Amino acid sequence: MMPVFVNPLDERAATSRSRAPRLDGLQGKTLALFDISKPGGSVFLDRLEHLLVEKYGVAGVVRVMKPTYTKPAPEPVLEGLRFVDGVIEALAD
Amino acid sequence: MLAPGDTAAPVALRQPEGPDWRLGDSIASGPVLLAFLETDCPTCRLAVPYLKRLAAALGADRGRVVAISQDGEQETTELVGAYDVTFPVLLDEDLAASRAYDPRSVPALFLVDEDGRIERSSVGFDKAEINAVAEVMLGKLGLQPQLIADPNDGAPETKPGCSSRHLEHGRNASAPAVDPIDLMPQKGPRASRLEIPDDVDPYEYCMSAGFSPYLPVIPPTAERVDAFLGDIPLPPDQVLGLVPPCYGQATVEKVAANAVMAGCKPEYMEVLFPVVRAVCDERFNLHGVQATTHSATPLTILSGSAAERLGFASGAGVFGNVSRANSTVGRALQLVMTNLGGARPGEIDMATLASPGRFSYCIAENHQESPWAPLHVDRGYDADESTVTLFAAAGLTVVSEHTARTGDGLLRTLAATLATVWSWRNCGRAEAIVVLCPEHATTLASDGFSKERVRDFLFENTGVPLYAYEHEGTEGTQLRDNYEEIVIDGMPHYQKFADPSQIMIVVAGGTAGKFSGVLGGWLSGPKGSQMVSYPVRF
Repeated sequence: MMPVFVNPLDERAATSRSRAPRLDGLQGKTLALFDISKPGGSVFLDRLEHLLVEKYGVAGVVRVMKPTYTKPAPEPVLEGLRFVDGVIEALAD
Repeated sequence: MLAPGDTAAPVALRQPEGPDWRLGDSIASGPVLLAFLETDCPTCRLAVPYLKRLAAALGADRGRVVAISQDGEQETTELVGAYDVTFPVLLDEDLAASRAYDPRSVPALFLVDEDGRIERSSVGFDKAEINAVAEVMLGKLGLQPQLIADPNDGAPETKPGCSSRHLEHGRNASAPAVDPIDLMPQKGPRASRLEIPDDVDPYEYCMSAGFSPYLPVIPPTAERVDAFLGDIPLPPDQVLGLVPPCYGQATVEKVAANAVMAGCKPEYMEVLFPVVRAVCDERFNLHGVQATTHSATPLTILSGSAAERLGFASGAGVFGNVSRANSTVGRALQLVMTNLGGARPGEIDMATLASPGRFSYCIAENHQESPWAPLHVDRGYDADESTVTLFAAAGLTVVSEHTARTGDGLLRTLAATLATVWSWRNCGRAEAIVVLCPEHATTLASDGFSKERVRDFLFENTGVPLYAYEHEGTEGTQLRDNYEEIVIDGMPHYQKFADPSQIMIVVAGGTAGKFSGVLGGWLSGPKGSQMVSYPVRF
């Protein structure tokens, strides 16, 4: 008789979502720079903000920061990303 | 939003099944709790079992807890059925009551007193508020006080809710329904059965199927798992918690299957189940612990008489391979975390080095050899209880002190190692556990040190000398403006810990040898991982 095992794994089927449409360019767009609050992230994003505005004609930059990098962003923080054309996230140190 | 002292607006609404309900008919004889809910709001669904518990505590007055649904009859009936709601649930079909009470978000609680005034109002899920409401209602009705929201039941202490329906602009009520998310589901699906062909080695199957690709396990045959379930006084589909970061459901059956694979005995489940509840507790933040590049992983510390009763080791070799109970419960937790939580090494688990604790990390406190009260008493439990305490710990650093004959000398040696947790120059970041061996604990007690005095001494005498910060650009130097400057042995230092509570003292290990240990943690406090304790019980 074939042995029968009890499945010890999470059996939920993975779901997939389509990716957000890509921007056709940066000129005139409003972008969010998303700082996960790791040390050094602001230094990187300050420089990026300068380049985006001066070199690529970005119309506006919104700076959004997570209260801690150890946890997912809370809803009020995500709310700040809802009305921009694109988001650039400074992931780590 | 109506606030305490305001006159409660009249409420006259119908129930999906049952008579119309009027606030005016009920308040004359006692307080009424109005709870505005949305059926698809995860926080509202989280609150429903607590409202049920409060209603049950009110006994014959259970009708004093009244929910007001901001959704249609069909969705509301589904919610009532899913949670077996026994208190009145009203339909606010035109949202007139919602506009009158005007909560900015739901769940929203309004406690209306006998004079028709708002006594308390709040939004979101908040255990302290639920308990405060219960205290008022039970007191006014002459009933015994009851704890309605247990701080250690696995649910978060607080949770923000969703925007109230009457404030939602442009909501498309005909949009396709989305399956509601349950933050604390009571029941989950049964595990599937897998038929293993006779010509397949069952041990190799478990490794190739991803049950434990890095170390062989005992195959979780239906016979073994069913035998476990027969010894557990909980239904197999009961959910103990959702395991971060992928939030797979840790049902009794799934945890039992992983415990079988780890080599546990059925009686260890009395310890493993609260361990699983604790690791799923939002305060522990397993999401971060599992995804970080740091080496931290949950260390389980069992405290109380359950350790001897179930065969957990607390003496010689406590961090090693000395007891089936320690080894297999620690291993079972790791299997639950990967198989149900989804953080597999190299995928979501991105630890740079990790630690041997990722195989198993479980000790018991040696309270027989401790001169002080046990850990669970420090954590607020009664002496006759047993608890599991989880700490996101890095590896153990062993500290030898065979020469010091005084508590002062011994603690200064330990303080030098404590100063290095996380990274030498970084202060105020990580918590630490000092594991005192019995000989060192005896030295301290003989020298008149209480456990509290040990902790305070270590707090006051653990620092990083200021000369260490001459090397600009090293970790911790950029944060020095935040540090507290203190004097240790006449030399200026920055204080290593932000508060004495960041240092925990545990007595464990064998009676021979003056080796204690220091365990550094991960980022601690509400912004990182908080130590959590759960009582040992099914």
